[in-house]
Amino acid sequence: MIGILICQIVLSVVLASIFLFRPSLTTGAAWKVLAFIGLCVLPALCIVGGMNTHMQRSEQTQFCISCHAMVPYGKSLYVDDPTHIPAQHFQNHRVPADMACYSCHADYGIYGPLKDKLQGLTRIYMQYVSTPPNPITIPGGFKNAQCLHCHLGARSFEENQIHAAIMDSLTSNQMSCLTSGCHDTAHDVANLSHQKFWRPVQ
Amino acid sequence: MKLSAIGIRRLLQASSALVIVGLLLEIVSLLWFHPLSFVLFAFVAVTLIGLGILVYLLSLVFVATPPAGNGN
Repeated sequence: MIGILICQIVLSVVLASIFLFRPSLTTGAAWKVLAFIGLCVLPALCIVGGMNTHMQRSEQTQFCISCHAMVPYGKSLYVDDPTHIPAQHFQNHRVPADMACYSCHADYGIYGPLKDKLQGLTRIYMQYVSTPPNPITIPGGFKNAQCLHCHLGARSFEENQIHAAIMDSLTSNQMSCLTSGCHDTAHDVANLSHQKFWRPVQ
Repeated sequence: MKLSAIGIRRLLQASSALVIVGLLLEIVSLLWFHPLSFVLFAFVAVTLIGLGILVYLLSLVFVATPPAGNGN
């Protein structure tokens, strides 16, 4: 996919180069059409293709943990302890392993991808221009909707008596899934040095 | 200042240069696997490509035909 996009960009660069060095060619009708394609249509398509590729890439686990501040969070996915919720989801493929961060932290609303991208840009700004928060927190807290996006309607979730008793509180976000005593161990990056880690076979 | 006075050649060259630089930066952003690559793409490459397209479209609107006999 990225190879096709790069080929398209190279083609655009070649066409644009022709008009950089030989602008007088546009006197001919055919060259006018070619100039329109090379300086307007193809570059516009390259922007669309590039945006699409960057959006897809930013959903990848490797992309998220390529940021220095996120490295411990990536490491926490390998903690060998089933009470660690992110590690359990990642290691057992309850979320796609190559999109683990995005699966649990994406806003699934209609403008979700845009909000996520703006939040990501804010974090980049904090990392490089202002002061990054320590510890890293999610603005507004972790919302149950991100768990319920997958778990709501699942038999094992709904037949659980505790879940059934507090379902309204969970769906209305009055009570967090991460409440103490429930699923309260998330990334726990402060204690990573004391943990055992799972090593995948491959 | 009338844009037609600048001439379509200059506008085409400016447009081409902006588009080429923008596209080359897009390639860099695609090959660079880092969160900053999106910033490079969205804020630098897209701006340059967009400006290049805009300059080209302006040349279509304000300059009907290039001066004859000035090509190389």
